Amino acid sequence: MGQQLFIFGAAFLGSAVESTEALTIVLAVGLTRGWRAPLLGAAAAVVALGVLVVAFGQLIVTTVPESALKLVVGTLLLLFGLRWLHKAVLRSAGVVAMHDEQHAYEQAVAQLESAVTTRDWVGFVLALKGVFLEGLEVVFIVIAVGGTGHGFPAAVAGGLVAAIVIAAVGVVVRRPLSRVPENTLKYGVGVILTSLGTFWAAEGMGARWPLDFVSILGLAAVYLVASRMAMTLIRRPQVA
Amino acid sequence: MRFLSAAARQIIGLFVGDWLQSIVVVLILAAGWFAVSRFGLPALVILVVLLAGQLVWFAYAEGLKQSRRRSPS
Repeated sequence: MGQQLFIFGAAFLGSAVESTEALTIVLAVGLTRGWRAPLLGAAAAVVALGVLVVAFGQLIVTTVPESALKLVVGTLLLLFGLRWLHKAVLRSAGVVAMHDEQHAYEQAVAQLESAVTTRDWVGFVLALKGVFLEGLEVVFIVIAVGGTGHGFPAAVAGGLVAAIVIAAVGVVVRRPLSRVPENTLKYGVGVILTSLGTFWAAEGMGARWPLDFVSILGLAAVYLVASRMAMTLIRRPQVA
Repeated sequence: MRFLSAAARQIIGLFVGDWLQSIVVVLILAAGWFAVSRFGLPALVILVVLLAGQLVWFAYAEGLKQSRRRSPS
């Protein structure tokens, strides 16, 4: 039960971050060019992503041997999580600019305004591309988090609930969700995904963790301390 | 075609930000695979320490690089 909740939470948080970025693009298109084309584009992307989850998720879970699956997916999840964590450390240390949904929104609007054509397909393609590319990360998180721990339904549920919640909030506020603490979320999810990746990669190697799934909390603590240490080192004044 | 190449770039970019760091992580895991089956828990602990250590090292190196870029003097 605890493991299923953990998988649901990890998929939910990771998907919420990416859904926020996808929503910004759809909002930018919808508020500047009308809603029909971007909603159709977003719907087409969601269908394509759903097909990917069902096809690859089932294929991977049913055909790949468990130890190989854990090793490969664990390695990929570790690389994926470390990338988020690395970026979050640099942002928190102040050496890389924070991700800003308002800025992303303004960029998308500027891109749309420079498109002289008035045809709807510009909005359709931009929404399709934005939702599909951001959604690829959601698909990976759902498959990787759920596929290896016998928690595929929990992971799919986490991803779906996140997308629905973010879409619902977007419908209500109708502007970029700049108050979502996206960088903090990405930092937290980075720690969780890196820990899960390490756990599964090692299990794929044949290792047995003390306390089984609970040791993920210990791994999260190690990565949290390491990332704080990196931030402290980066912020430390440099001696010339 | 541009859409497909953007999708391919996005997929690779999901896992690889810095190629050197990714190679180091894979090498640590490869060494861990060899060591964990022979030495058990101690090797597992070293594996985790190395993975956490590379995170500190690469973030610190990138931080230094970005800081120097900002203040070239």
